[in-house]
Amino acid sequence: MNQKKAFSKIYDRYIDKIYRFIFLKVNSQPIAEDLCSETFLRCWNVFKAKNPEIKNAPAFLYQTAKNLVIDYYRKKARAGTIPLENIQLIDQKADLEKQIVFASDVNQVKKGLAELKDDYQNVIIWHYLDGFSIREVGQLLGRTEGNVRVLLHRALKELKRKLG
Amino acid sequence: MTEKELIAKLHQLKRIKPSQNWIILAKNRILEEEQEEHQVSGLFSLFLKPVLSGVFVFIMIIGIFAVSQDSLPGELLYPLKKITERSRALLLARNDLPRYELEKANKRLKEISRMVQEDGTAEPLKKLDPAINEFKQNVSRAVKTLAKVQATSSDPFLLKKIVEETKKLEENKQKVEQLGIAVGQTEELNSVLANIAAREIEQLKTAVLSQEQMELFGAAKQEYDNRDYGKALEYILLLSYPQLQNNKDDIMGK
Repeated sequence: MNQKKAFSKIYDRYIDKIYRFIFLKVNSQPIAEDLCSETFLRCWNVFKAKNPEIKNAPAFLYQTAKNLVIDYYRKKARAGTIPLENIQLIDQKADLEKQIVFASDVNQVKKGLAELKDDYQNVIIWHYLDGFSIREVGQLLGRTEGNVRVLLHRALKELKRKLG
Repeated sequence: MTEKELIAKLHQLKRIKPSQNWIILAKNRILEEEQEEHQVSGLFSLFLKPVLSGVFVFIMIIGIFAVSQDSLPGELLYPLKKITERSRALLLARNDLPRYELEKANKRLKEISRMVQEDGTAEPLKKLDPAINEFKQNVSRAVKTLAKVQATSSDPFLLKKIVEETKKLEENKQKVEQLGIAVGQTEELNSVLANIAAREIEQLKTAVLSQEQMELFGAAKQEYDNRDYGKALEYILLLSYPQLQNNKDDIMGK
């Protein structure tokens, strides 16, 4: 029962982040849901088998999610665009006008983000979307804080360039 | 676009979220697999475990009772052996009781022989006392039930078994006595057999017999005169019940 509680905490804390992380890479809600479920299922299995506490839960989750996305792309061609109706950006009850405008802006940034190489993509997602500090991003990447700052600067520069 | 503007647009991507329904469903699905396992194991615990425990206990009891059949007087499992024997008696027909009591009497004699031979001496006598008493009781019960059995009205095969057990009893008794153990006399048993044999001989005197049957009748009377009432009864059974012809050679001593 303690294991379940501990896992639930991890799930609740990272479900949005992992889902978003995957979604930004696969451009499909159903696929993002499937891969996200699989990520947490694998986490739960390791959780049960090894230790009540996975020492670095986010690192494990992101690494698993990355691997699943790679596996996904090995089977399917990378999608350049994604239909707007597959993007669930805001609550269903939100204003339709906002939804369209928002979707358009997001789509543009998302598209640019999707075209970055993985390291750039990840560091932007982790720092600006998921709220990880430079130090924490360094732990996820296995790099120093200095390296992460440099990487982040280069990632933003490249994204700006793509967005024109 | 400035870096600040770009970061502001990136922050908008935070709104990319899964639906709450899916979050709950996915979590339940992941944890339900564990719950189902627990349920199965719970069901197992609730229903199967007690059943399997009961089966295991039952098998253990059967095993213990089986092992007890080889136990000797004074040993831990011997009372279980006695319980098994008494239980079997409850399932027997009334006419079968004499044979059963004689079987038990023979068992007691064999147990006594084993105890003496394994011990190497006639000691310890205290351990033999229960077996000897049991033997005497078995013989006594056999006599009582046998007295109620009419030789002609009972199953000939059953009566034949009684005669065989009686014969074995004498042989086993001799073996035990040769080991230096006195188990008492079986005169009562002989008396009952004598009465049965005498009654049969009287009835056969007036019967019309074939040549072969006449021979058997003569042999029966001779054995009766020699006080071998068991043998006499065997000849009587043979001539009265031809279906026992297959055992004729054994009876005739060939």
